[in-house]
Amino acid sequence: MGDTLSYFLMAWSDPWLLGLVATGTFAGIYIGAIPGLSVTMAVSILISFTFAWDINNALALMVGVFCGGVYGGSRTAILLNIPGAPSAVATAFDGYPLAQRGEAGQAIGLSTVMSVIGGMIGIAILAASAPVLSDMALQFAPRDYFLIAALGLLLVGSLAAESLARGIFAAALGGIIGMIGMDPVTAQGRFTFGSVDLLGGVHYVIVMIGLFGVAEALFQLHQLDTTPVRQKVDKIIPSLHLVLRFLPLSLRTSIIGVIIGALPGTGGDIAALFAYDHAKRTTKTPKVPFGEGAYEGLVAPESANNAAVGGAFVPMLTLGMPGDAVTAVIIGAMVVHGLNPGPMLMIETPHIFWFIVGALVLANICLLVFGLMGIKLFARVVELPRAILIPLILVLCVVGSYSINGSMTEVFWMLGFGLLGYFMKIFGFQMGPVILGVILGPLMDKTYRQAMASVGDSSSAFLMDLVTHPLSLILTAVVVLLLLSHTPVKRLWTRR
Amino acid sequence: MLKALLATLTLSAGATLLAGPIQAADYPQRNIEGIIQWGAGGATDNVARSLTPHVEEALNGKIILNNRPGGTGVIGMNTVMHKPANGYTVLYGAENPQLYPVMGLADFDYSDMTPINVIGQGMVVIAVPADSPYNTMDDLLKAAHDKPGELRMGGTGAGGLPSTVLAMINSVDTLDVRNVTFGGDGPGITAMLGDHIDFMPLSLAAAQEQIKAGRLKGLAVLSKERLDVLPEVPTITESLPDIGSYLPWGPFWAVAVRKDTPDDIKATLSKAYQTGVANKDFQSFIKRNGAETLNLTGQEAVDFLNHWQSVTAWAMQSAGTARVSPEKLSIPKP
Amino acid sequence: MSTSPLKAGERAFNILLLLLSISILVVAYRISGFESVRSPGAFPMFLGCLLVLSMVVIIIGQRHHPRPKTTGHLGETRQFFRTHLPPRFMVFTLMTIGYLLLLTPLGFVPATLLFMFCAIVYLFRGRWVLSALVTVGATAIIYALFTLLFQVYLP
Repeated sequence: MGDTLSYFLMAWSDPWLLGLVATGTFAGIYIGAIPGLSVTMAVSILISFTFAWDINNALALMVGVFCGGVYGGSRTAILLNIPGAPSAVATAFDGYPLAQRGEAGQAIGLSTVMSVIGGMIGIAILAASAPVLSDMALQFAPRDYFLIAALGLLLVGSLAAESLARGIFAAALGGIIGMIGMDPVTAQGRFTFGSVDLLGGVHYVIVMIGLFGVAEALFQLHQLDTTPVRQKVDKIIPSLHLVLRFLPLSLRTSIIGVIIGALPGTGGDIAALFAYDHAKRTTKTPKVPFGEGAYEGLVAPESANNAAVGGAFVPMLTLGMPGDAVTAVIIGAMVVHGLNPGPMLMIETPHIFWFIVGALVLANICLLVFGLMGIKLFARVVELPRAILIPLILVLCVVGSYSINGSMTEVFWMLGFGLLGYFMKIFGFQMGPVILGVILGPLMDKTYRQAMASVGDSSSAFLMDLVTHPLSLILTAVVVLLLLSHTPVKRLWTRR
Repeated sequence: MLKALLATLTLSAGATLLAGPIQAADYPQRNIEGIIQWGAGGATDNVARSLTPHVEEALNGKIILNNRPGGTGVIGMNTVMHKPANGYTVLYGAENPQLYPVMGLADFDYSDMTPINVIGQGMVVIAVPADSPYNTMDDLLKAAHDKPGELRMGGTGAGGLPSTVLAMINSVDTLDVRNVTFGGDGPGITAMLGDHIDFMPLSLAAAQEQIKAGRLKGLAVLSKERLDVLPEVPTITESLPDIGSYLPWGPFWAVAVRKDTPDDIKATLSKAYQTGVANKDFQSFIKRNGAETLNLTGQEAVDFLNHWQSVTAWAMQSAGTARVSPEKLSIPKP
Repeated sequence: MSTSPLKAGERAFNILLLLLSISILVVAYRISGFESVRSPGAFPMFLGCLLVLSMVVIIIGQRHHPRPKTTGHLGETRQFFRTHLPPRFMVFTLMTIGYLLLLTPLGFVPATLLFMFCAIVYLFRGRWVLSALVTVGATAIIYALFTLLFQVYLP
């Protein structure tokens, strides 16, 4: 026990480690905020950068960047409607309308506090029940991931504000965009039209930057001459009353976040979308409707995506298996540094586990401090004249999409999606379902085919599996119930 | 914003200091871009990132690594082949390019580039879950013979390591299985830990920790002799002696540049990589991961690549999984 | 149930999307046909069907909506351009395309300076000095951030 505590406090008592966690968190916030710069990319650069360092120092920096980066994505989502990272997509739904109402400061303040609460809950669950949670996560068979993806796609019902048919169309279109590229099973091209450039697929960040950032910038051209809303920059730090009001929601969505994060096949982006949907279903009377700047729509995804960080470390620390792309790179870093990440990690080197937990807690405290710093300055960004803001957003989108793979092709794709998004927006299509399709479509395709292959391509055996395994049965029941209660065939016709 | 800028400047100043002064010699005059054809955190990525600092030291220059994954590595290799042939872009690749032609994935392979160094070769182990009823390779083969097409094998897609190993086994025996495709070794192992698949041929680097911890059982290593890191796991030739003609075989890692790169640059690079691979720390890194270093350059590297391609392509041909016949591609029989 | 009048060009856009959906379905079918229940083309075909179906539902649902208050197709086209593709939009989009085309030949810094300056001056209708200052400042910050700190190669 004493050892555990000393490992836990290692990052706190050593000023050098403390500084590294703080630097990492600070850098992470801005890496996360800039679209196109991902935490995965930053951490893999850090492997080379910290090659000669002690493993603790390297891990301290990486943990900081990870925590900061997941949070940072929300900043540009709120201010400019460009989610800096996929996990911030759901934040943009209500965060951006809030900024447009003059509450950018409050939105960032609240999202910071809720991110930290979510992050802390994630760490607490990681510390308390990592082995149990990872055993549970292993129970998820391909068919269960398929059901989760299906469950996710049903969120279209709550994302498509006015017309369900339009929502379905948008989600299916997103799914098709996600299919572009080489089929992972047969290595044959899908929707590539023979182009080698397309074999790798269209990165979903490209789609995101185009549909959200560029489309919104083009849309803003219409309101060039209206003066932007003046931002209320007093009361940036949310009152205790406000925090307490949203605490139950934050707790529930954090638990969603940890579980989805701990599943090796899903991460913070899906967790945030599920949380948003949960908030929308459980909040019967929001003060402001969802999609127009509801605080609930901000609290839920922000709690969930930061809680997912703790979740992602669960399979990594207990089994040496990555919980998401970032932990995959951190595992790589540990290998490079001479550790053997595997099931024995917690037994052979328990200090690594508690050191990471300690560093995560510290990173969240740094997040609170850095996140609440400089909000007033950031909120002013929304007040910039549109004549400056629009070209600036475009340049940022171009640089962001170029830096993902260093190719101009992707930049043209990004612009294409921007124009598509602009027209879809005009004619009442929502962007949320498209992103949902891009994220979940490939997951559904992959897991469906895995599940089918496991039962020897027999549809009847596949359907039997869905109801004979307890876990699958629960998930199937939820899917069917949701399908019946929220998307009756009748509504399809009346709510168009 | 100002703070961000300040942080930028201090960090970048630090980076420049760490990089050290760049030599006044002709090459390299500026940073070299290293393109890794697999994603961050994978085996190829780990090898590249462990090796590069030692090469930088020998080269007295900086190599900036970028992952360009996708399309079984076709994207990354294609990128390098379209950059100028000036030695400022190098490819960190795995074994996959040698199978592009037979799999019909692309019309190029390593012979369209110049190998700078064949870094090393990994080992393969056939693994099953810890509570699997199969305790030996013979058990597994018997189960497959009794109930053809019912065992679930974890795969990584056409041209991936498991399907190549399956092809080798099928060219000397019959192993009729359901091929469940995962995104890589990691997701496959995770599925196996949850008993969602019955077995999977894995790179030793990915599987050894799980086997040592008793979460997976190793049935056979794809080698003629037992391995030091897993002495209790039998060799595959103990069950299938005929497969010995393909061995030694395993996934490998290589560094290559475009063919028309000037010869003196190729020579400088070869020397630097040879020094880097020979580094003690890197050697022990490779050994820890259940692989062996080869450190082949020049004609040796070319011979190794050709031999690997001919063995693998013809094994796939005789198992019936090659899409384009190696004969048509004028790949000689081993 | 709303029967608000259709927006100018809405019907044309929906029909365009329907055509797109049909061609997606055709391409999806061509991937592997009805080879097996889990062929590479199976899921894309399912999505293609969803696209076509949902678009048909949308179009049928709109058959009773009043047409936009314009005279004939020509009037509708004109209104479409006036409300959704005003000259400002067209000019700005063309500037952006030009920027993308010039990025590689000119290099990141000159192309960005040129694009931002032109765009800001155009959108502001003048204010040369302010535009120049903002342009130089923003380009410098972005360049520093990306190339120095994150070691991204910009064109």
